[in-house]
Amino acid sequence: MDIMISGLRRRFGRVEALRGVDLAVPGGMFGLLGTNGAGKTTLMRVLAGVLPPTSGRVLVGGHDITTRAGRLAVQRRLGYLPQDLGLYPDLTTHEFLDYVGLLKGLDDDAARRRQIGELLDMVGLADVARRRLKGFSGGMRRRVGIAQALLGDPALIVVDEPTAGLDPEERIRFRTLLAQIAGHRTVLLSTHIVEDVAQTCQEAAVMASGRVVFTGPVTGIIDRAQGATWEVVTQGPPPSTGVVVSAVGRPGGTHYRVVSPTKPDPAAVPVQPSLEEGYVALMREAVPS
Amino acid sequence: MRRFFAVCRYEFRMQIRKRSLWLSTAGLAVLIAVAQGDRGPRYLPADADAARVMGSWALLFSMLLPIGFGMVLADRLVRDHRLGAASLLASLPTRPGALVAGKYAGSVAATAVPALLALLVTAAGEFVHRGDPALFPSAVAAFAVVLLPGLAFVAAFALVGPLVLSAPLFRVLFAGYWFWGNLLGPNYLPSLTGTLLTPIGDYPASWLIGERALYAGTPGWLSFLRPEPGGGAALLSVVLLAVLATPPLVFASPLLARRTSS
Ligand SMILES: Nc1ncnc2c1ncn2[C@@H]1O[C@H](COP(=O)(O)OP(=O)(O)OP(=O)(O)O)[C@@H](O)[C@H]1O
Ligand SMILES: [Mg+2]
Repeated sequence: MDIMISGLRRRFGRVEALRGVDLAVPGGMFGLLGTNGAGKTTLMRVLAGVLPPTSGRVLVGGHDITTRAGRLAVQRRLGYLPQDLGLYPDLTTHEFLDYVGLLKGLDDDAARRRQIGELLDMVGLADVARRRLKGFSGGMRRRVGIAQALLGDPALIVVDEPTAGLDPEERIRFRTLLAQIAGHRTVLLSTHIVEDVAQTCQEAAVMASGRVVFTGPVTGIIDRAQGATWEVVTQGPPPSTGVVVSAVGRPGGTHYRVVSPTKPDPAAVPVQPSLEEGYVALMREAVPS
Repeated sequence: MRRFFAVCRYEFRMQIRKRSLWLSTAGLAVLIAVAQGDRGPRYLPADADAARVMGSWALLFSMLLPIGFGMVLADRLVRDHRLGAASLLASLPTRPGALVAGKYAGSVAATAVPALLALLVTAAGEFVHRGDPALFPSAVAAFAVVLLPGLAFVAAFALVGPLVLSAPLFRVLFAGYWFWGNLLGPNYLPSLTGTLLTPIGDYPASWLIGERALYAGTPGWLSFLRPEPGGGAALLSVVLLAVLATPPLVFASPLLARRTSS
C-alpha cells in the first residue's frame, strides 16, 4: 500500500502540528526522522485514521482517508503501533491479542488463535502468553505492541518509535524483525534513532516543525554532510564553528567530528560523513539556530 | 455484531476481575443484611411468601449496591485514554457505536453478576430459616425486575457522565443524586424519590411484593409521576428508565471521537 500525502495540515487549537506535508511513501521499509514535536506522531495518527486532517489530501493504497469508507478500507489492512501504547493490565497477553484480533475482524477462531501463537513465538512472548499484562517490563510491552500490529497480516504497518527505551540487543532484534516483515508491505517507522533507519531503510523522510524537509534515499541524507564533515584533533577547546557530533578523548588529544559548511579549524581534515552527520547537517539547514 | 460481542465479552472479563467490584458489592450487601432495622425482610413473618421476601431483599440491595457500581463503572469509557489504548482502538476497523454498545452491555453484565449472586446467597440464607425452595426462582425474578433495570440505568450514566465531567466529579455528583433522587423522603424536599423514574425500583418491587414498597406512590411533589403501584406502573417505570438511559449512550460515540481526535 503506497501513501500519497499532499498539502496535509493539522492544527490543535493554536498549534499547527502539520503545516502542509507533501510526502510519497512507496512500498518497503520507510524511515521517518525528526526532532521532538516535529509532527511525526500527528502524521502517523492521521494515517491510521485516528485523527482527521484539518485540510489536505491523504491517499493510502488509493483510499481517501478523509472518507468513512476509505478510512475503514485502510484500517482493515493496517497494523498500527501508537507511541506510548497502553495495554489493559487485567488481560493476559493472549487475551489482549485475541481482543485486538477480533476487533480487526479476524473472525475465524482457529485461524486467529494460530496466528496469535505464531506471533507470540516471533516476538518471544510464548511463555508469558497466559500472564496478565500488569507488571510487564517496557520491552515486553513493546513486543506485545508489535505483535498486535502484525495481527491480520496488514499490508501497511505504521510504527511510532517502536524501539524507544529498548536495550541495544532488543532494539536490533526489533528493527531486524520489522525489516524482515517489510518484504512486500509498506512499513512506516518513526524514530529518533538514526542508526535504526540507517540499518533498515532504503528510503526516509525527515520532518521539522510540521514540514517534510527531506525525502528520498537514505544516502541522500548522508550527502547533505558531504564535504561538510571534519575531524579535528586538539588538546585545546573544541572548535567553535559548526556542530560537534562526537568527541573521543585519546592520549594525543581529543578527536572531534564536526559538521560545518566551512573548515572549522586550520588543522581540520575532511572525513566521510555518517547518516547521523547528514541528519545534523540537514537539521542545520532546516531549522537555522 | 461480532465486534459488539467481542467488546462485550472482553469488557465483561476485565471488569469481573476487578477486586473493587466484588469488594463494594460484598461490603454494601453485608451492611444491608446487618443494619436493615426491624422493618427489613429479615423480620418478615415466617409464612411470608417467597416473592415478598426476595422482592424486599432486592429492593434493599437496589438502594445501595448501584452506588458502588456507579463508582466502579465511572472510568470504564475514559480509561482507554488514561491507559493509552484509545489511539489503538480508534485505528481498528470497528465502528465506535459497536465499541460503546459492547462496553455498555459488558458493564451491565459485569455488575449484574455480583448483584445476582448477592441475592442468591441471601436466598440461600433465607432458605435455611424458611425452607421454601421457591425462594431461589423468586430471587432471580426479583433481580430481573427490581435490580437489573436500575443497574442498566446507572451503567449508562456512569459510563458516559465522566466523558463530560471528570470521573471524580461524576462520582461525587452521582452519590449526591442517589441520596437526593432515591432515598430522601419525598416529603421533605422536592425530589425524584418514589417516582416512576427512580432506578431503585420501588414500582417493580411493589408489584412483586403485592403492597406499597418504600416510597412508591407516596404523594408529594411531582405527584403525577407517582401513580398507584401495580403491574402497569411497574412496567411503565422500567420503560421510562430505559428511555432515559438512551440519550447518554447515543451521545457516547461522538463524545469519545471528539476526545480521541483532539
Ligand atoms: N492532541 C494534541 N493536542 C495539542 N497539541 C498537540 C496534540 N498532539 C500533538 N500536539 C502538538 O503538535 C506538535 C507535534 O507533535 P507530535 O507528537 O506529532 O510530534 P513528534 O514528532 O511525534 O514528537 P516526538 O518525537 O516528541 O514524539 C507538538 O507541538 C505537539 O505539542
Ligand atoms: Mg511522536
